[in-house]
Amino acid sequence: MSSLGDVFRILNRMQDEGLVTQYAVGGATAVLFYAEPTRTYDLDVFVTLEAVGNDLLAPLSRVYEWAREQGFGLQAEHLLIEGVPVQLLPAYNALVEAALSTARMHDYGGVPVRVVDPEHLVALALQAGGARRRERAWQLLETGAVDRERLRRILTTHAIAAEIPGDA
Amino acid sequence: MPDRLPGELRDLLERKRRWHREQAKAPLQEKVRILLELQRQDLPLIARRRPLRPWERPWDVTP
Repeated sequence: MSSLGDVFRILNRMQDEGLVTQYAVGGATAVLFYAEPTRTYDLDVFVTLEAVGNDLLAPLSRVYEWAREQGFGLQAEHLLIEGVPVQLLPAYNALVEAALSTARMHDYGGVPVRVVDPEHLVALALQAGGARRRERAWQLLETGAVDRERLRRILTTHAIAAEIPGDA
Repeated sequence: MPDRLPGELRDLLERKRRWHREQAKAPLQEKVRILLELQRQDLPLIARRRPLRPWERPWDVTP
């Protein structure tokens, strides 16, 4: 049976082979790197892709084609990599671009993996809104892993009008 | 709701907070093991509430 590390290896290969310019694990799987586990059934991966004209999604079809050649299945909008549904999300706004460029390298059992930093994870959760995402933001803030001053700057830069949970 | 929490409740909340912080400090692979377990436990509960999405199933990987 494959391990989650094998999935991260494939993400690194996608970047090494130029299918994506850069990637960073986001969402609940990224939270795992800084906070307690929270249940998720898919792995969100933000990516930057080389533009093909004005079509943001055209380079993504190249990734899907590559994945098919590698024997990975497709399920709805997910790639099934080693049995894990992976959703590739092309950077859709300035905050995601910033999250990608400031992502941190982590070591997962000897496999390097790029993961969105905790401040951007909170900002992304607050920007997207919704109860589950607010809970995710709260979880991260509770761990003490978040630099609140940096988070405030990010929220201001990206005009996110949200209160930081736990701020007086 | 009272402004001040009774001492016992305050202590309980503090212990809960400490427990969450300890969980957060667990080794990564241990956290993934817990995630895989949560996926298995939650799936039947979700299925009782609504139809499952095609990709909602426990990951077939080891931590």
